[in-house]
Amino acid sequence: MDRRTGSTRNILFNKYEIGKLLGQGNFAKVYHGRNLSTNESVAIKVIKKERLQQKERLVKQIKREVSVMSLVRHPHIVELKEVMANKAKIFLVVEYVKGAAASPTAILKPENLLLDENEDLKVSDFGLSALPDQRRSDGMLLTPCGTPAYVAPEVLKKKGYDGSKADIWSCGVILFALLSGYLPFQGENVMRIYSKSFRADYAFPEWISPGAKNLISNLLVVDPQKRYSIPDIMKDPWFQIGFMRPIAFSMKESAVEDNIDFSGDDVSNGSDDGNSSSSNNDDGELTGAKPARPSYNAFEIISSLSNGFDLRNLFETRKRSPSMFISKFSASAVMAKLEGVAKKLNFRVTGKKEFVVRMQGATEGRKGKLAMTVEVFEVAPEVAVVEFAKSAGDTLEYIKFCEDQVRPSLKDIVWSWQGDANCHQ
Amino acid sequence: MGCMNSKSVRKFPAREDSLDLAAETAFTVNEVEALFVLFRSISNSIVNDGLLSKEEFQLAIFKNKKKDNIFANRIFDLFDVKKLGVVDFEDFVRSLNVFHPNASLKDKIAFSFRLYDLHNTGFIERPEVKEMLIALLFESDMKLADDVIETILDKTFVEADLKQDGKIDTEEWETFVKRNPSVLKIMTLPYLRDITISFPSFIFNSTNVERVDETSTRL
Repeated sequence: MDRRTGSTRNILFNKYEIGKLLGQGNFAKVYHGRNLSTNESVAIKVIKKERLQQKERLVKQIKREVSVMSLVRHPHIVELKEVMANKAKIFLVVEYVKGAAASPTAILKPENLLLDENEDLKVSDFGLSALPDQRRSDGMLLTPCGTPAYVAPEVLKKKGYDGSKADIWSCGVILFALLSGYLPFQGENVMRIYSKSFRADYAFPEWISPGAKNLISNLLVVDPQKRYSIPDIMKDPWFQIGFMRPIAFSMKESAVEDNIDFSGDDVSNGSDDGNSSSSNNDDGELTGAKPARPSYNAFEIISSLSNGFDLRNLFETRKRSPSMFISKFSASAVMAKLEGVAKKLNFRVTGKKEFVVRMQGATEGRKGKLAMTVEVFEVAPEVAVVEFAKSAGDTLEYIKFCEDQVRPSLKDIVWSWQGDANCHQ
Repeated sequence: MGCMNSKSVRKFPAREDSLDLAAETAFTVNEVEALFVLFRSISNSIVNDGLLSKEEFQLAIFKNKKKDNIFANRIFDLFDVKKLGVVDFEDFVRSLNVFHPNASLKDKIAFSFRLYDLHNTGFIERPEVKEMLIALLFESDMKLADDVIETILDKTFVEADLKQDGKIDTEEWETFVKRNPSVLKIMTLPYLRDITISFPSFIFNSTNVERVDETSTRL
């Protein structure tokens, strides 16, 4: 009993308090929940297992939703926090988006685009939303597989298709609907919608501006090859009106930066004039050695560099970004080399503290500019351990950058990259 | 007919097993069930017997049939609580528990001490650490002059071996790792916090029934 209200509290797995029902479909109900230990609001999607029996397709969709959401950590995508189950039910605990109605779809459509209290967009539902409640007449044209109104023609034809191009079509439908108040492809039955979609047969209302018309016309192109790509959209004049690139979010992947205070560092807030105190000659020589960082002890060397002690591989299937190497040069020589390489790769040094350097790329990536922090430890007079960490930007771009640019540029000072021992038989 | 493997393939853990393991570790029942999905995949990679052999463990870590590795061997030996040469699911969960972000620092310190006490003498001795350093250099295709290795060992033991008797006892180790917390970095696996998301297929097999209340039946 809740002493304050006298009502029975619904507690799930001793962890979540279940609140009001937010929405429901044939197979799933969504409740508001509260994490008892952190007080954080969550949404809990409850699926009855008995409803899934003899429905292999739905089981696959649930698996897909979980696997997709577990791969993605992004400020504009609803986060999957935990998966739970008992004999009768499956519980998906997801980020609660305040002010959003919960609608269980498999495609980009307005019901899956939620706005939080800061008016930030969140994409929700990756697979489960093909569980609509057909009893609710909310004006949407629904089929057992969701609505065809937003789906690209090549997907409807059940041919092989490029998912990103199909999503761009869906974005075109959404943009049309947001600007006009109705869907571009409508009809009294599904086949009529299909045939209009296959021909891109739609008409603009007169109030839509020429710029918006031009963009939508390039999104709703039947041939995926001729349809706009994301870079095309970014360059579109109407799209650029009032557009502000979001601040690159950072998923900290290493603790390198955790205890480093860059305030009052050697490089004043990113203005790198190329004349930092150490000479940047590429051969790794340094004029005027600095005091070495506290050195790595034997146990740090073993624990950091031994692959056999690294149990992360039990849990990872994807490639991990290279994060450490041993150099047969002194720590100060390595620092000089790093600064030289940064300049060569068009990265500017934005922070420096003794044997830590922070650098940022010049070009905009998918999530802003790549930035990394590098820390150098002395092991012995002519041996150093170098730790890398991405501090901003896109992880896949970072991995590619490390593989294609950083590793080749550093090869003359690298003795062994952590993880490369896997290749030695 | 040939020799048949008499060991039966391990079924999904019974509710009681999951509840018991959850009660004595930092894992929830569902996390135990998710760990079983992981255990089943790595323990059946060579022999489908529901037990994790040293070869299967090394295959899981290195993703290839690597030759003997002193470090992976050492972890495996500590996971092999019953000293049978194989690790069963219960020991796998109990051992991984030490690596949970919520596991106590005391347990992490104790496990890491045993990790480096290669010869199980109750002390971390200088020759053991040297053996591991040389093995590490060898596996990385690196060569360091013996005097450089000795310098590294000297610096380490000056700081860690407070009694200066050539070996590190549990008290000295505790003092040392508290001063050098990065040594314990390998003792925490953040993945264990998200294990249900990493291995979600347990949800279709879960036999868990909540004992505490009937909330879920009302949903």
